[in-house]
Amino acid sequence: MKILINLAFQSLFSRKATVFLTVISLTVSIVLFLSIDTLRLGAKKSFFGNVKSGDLILGSRSGEIQLLLYSLFQIGNPTNNISWESYKEISKKTEIAWIVPISLGDSHKQFRVMGTTKEYFQKYSYRKGQKLQYQFGTHFQNTFDVVIGSDVAKMLNYQLDDSIIIAHGIASQSLHDEFPFKVKGILQKTGTSVDKLVLVSLEALEAIHKDWKAGSKIPIKGVNNKKNFKEQDLIPKEITAAIIKLKSPITIFKIQREINDYEYEPLQAIIPGIVLTKLWQIVSVTENIMLTISAMVIVSALIGLIAILYSTLNNRRREMALLRIVGASPRTIFSLLLLEALIISFLSILFSIILTQLLNFFLFPILDYKYGIYLENSFLLLKDFYFFVIVLFTAVIVSIFPALQAYKNSINDGM
Amino acid sequence: MNNALDIKNLLFKWNKKDGFSLKIKNLSIKRNKKVIMFGQSGSGKSTLLNLISGILSPVSGTIIIKDTITNNLSSNKKDLFRANNIGVIFQQFNILDYISPINNIMLPCFFTNFKKKNKKFFYNRAFNLATKLDLKRNILLQKNSSQLSVGQKQRIAIIRAVINKPFLIVADEPTSALDNKNKVNFLDLLVNICDTEKITLLMVSHDTSLKKYFDSYITLEKIVQK
Ligand SMILES: Nc1ncnc2c1ncn2[C@@H]1O[C@H](COP(=O)(O)OP(=O)(O)OP(=O)(O)O)[C@@H](O)[C@H]1O
Ligand SMILES: [Mg+2]
Repeated sequence: MKILINLAFQSLFSRKATVFLTVISLTVSIVLFLSIDTLRLGAKKSFFGNVKSGDLILGSRSGEIQLLLYSLFQIGNPTNNISWESYKEISKKTEIAWIVPISLGDSHKQFRVMGTTKEYFQKYSYRKGQKLQYQFGTHFQNTFDVVIGSDVAKMLNYQLDDSIIIAHGIASQSLHDEFPFKVKGILQKTGTSVDKLVLVSLEALEAIHKDWKAGSKIPIKGVNNKKNFKEQDLIPKEITAAIIKLKSPITIFKIQREINDYEYEPLQAIIPGIVLTKLWQIVSVTENIMLTISAMVIVSALIGLIAILYSTLNNRRREMALLRIVGASPRTIFSLLLLEALIISFLSILFSIILTQLLNFFLFPILDYKYGIYLENSFLLLKDFYFFVIVLFTAVIVSIFPALQAYKNSINDGM
Repeated sequence: MNNALDIKNLLFKWNKKDGFSLKIKNLSIKRNKKVIMFGQSGSGKSTLLNLISGILSPVSGTIIIKDTITNNLSSNKKDLFRANNIGVIFQQFNILDYISPINNIMLPCFFTNFKKKNKKFFYNRAFNLATKLDLKRNILLQKNSSQLSVGQKQRIAIIRAVINKPFLIVADEPTSALDNKNKVNFLDLLVNICDTEKITLLMVSHDTSLKKYFDSYITLEKIVQK
């Protein structure tokens, strides 16, 4: 056995150029597969990481996926708001542990502004139940304070106490420039959509929209001054959605039904986990296509491997005959070829492990910084290990063909 | 038994229909004799050597080497028997270029039961034989064998053929790639080693002038049956 391993290694080494290219092509394909898999899992994780906070999401009646997207991911726009009265009414239910309102609509530069209450910062949790933490500062103290996500701070280079102006609507030129806000807190990176949010209090949103009617500014005397607001003026009239946490998950369906049957206003409640799973099933089609393509790339690299083994067989007939003459059996010749394939694929796996770790180390921060794709840097998982075993196994299986050819040749090849 | 090799009623056929077939009623080579075999190209000389070394198996008949009916052995035993008892020298490609000359020499040992305690003995034997054949230690210890000259390669092939103290050496036109001076050199060395180590030698050649180095000669056409 030892002699075989030595022979295989030295023989491969003597053909280092071709062997190296084969290893490279196999390595690249494995790295491709692993990267796509990491991206996929990362996407899934950050996707599902957003739904850890509540049991139900309350919103106006529209598509449930739509409600999920704008309430949790701040993607798309709500068609309708829900009235503050209905919100108040529903929050009276005794089964509810807590309920946090959110209000969308405005923006700051490319980031969306979300109105909410102080509870949001305590209740919001993501991934494995992690809570929001502050890099700097704290949540809002005054009406015109904002808390910004880490991406907002990074991209726009904001510091505490910087002054920012909110624009009306999304991608709008009309600014609420008479109400400058002050950055009161900067959140730590979460890898969720919160990183891209500008958070303000519901009262502040109400205040800046006092003199707005149906999307345009109607100057009314006197109100455009902060000091003119009284507390009761700032009670919101409507909100976009609310996140509900129940005391006991048993009551989820009961509360959901009650909200859906609410008679004074068309409301709906969705269970985020269920809707998200539905959504993910749609998205995962592309995911599967990508995985299939990268699996094909591996297959083609393995075909390249057997092509290499096959093409050298003829040149190596004398070599094999010589081994036979000194006592090697045809079975030994067969094993030698399998061993070479095994070494090549093992080296490729080794290289791809090193390469993926390097990529993790150098590329993940860039992905995060430039594209906001946050991937957890996890070293080899059990599934990767299974994957490597499958690659090795397949490599050996496909190499049986050239090895069998060598076996057949060596039965007759002597002098 | 005073015969090193006994072939009786041998019949061999290449697989293909109306392919070449070889039929030999009787062939014996006495112990410690050196025999040269002539024959036309395509007459089956290499095929016969492959049968003797056990690479090929006859359809019928017996091949007896060292009192063992080798064609009855299982294929694994045949391979082991060859590694232990038969040294082989080819016309060319006697050397694996990608391993060191010393490892080339040791190849038959690697494929037999090469015990730890014998290791030293075989390496010493290899270096001693090499010195006799004018191959210096540092030549044997080169990383790989691609730099060796044709003559050096053939000398290493001799050492490899005898390293395991074989009973019989078969050589298939080992001198045809060598120039005159190297040819004479090579034969002197081979014949000398076979004499001192008491090894029976069967060598195939086209060169009838080499008769003088051998005890007797065979012409294949004369012993095959049509
Ligand atoms: N692998 C093989 N498969 C089928 N037929 C073969 C094979 N090898 C040799 N033969 C046939 O066997 C016959 C004898 O070949 P062999 O090589 O033994 O001749 P030879 O006497 O050694 O010739 P040369 O002097 O040219 O080396 C030839 O007709 C050849 O075509
Ligand atoms: Mg021949």
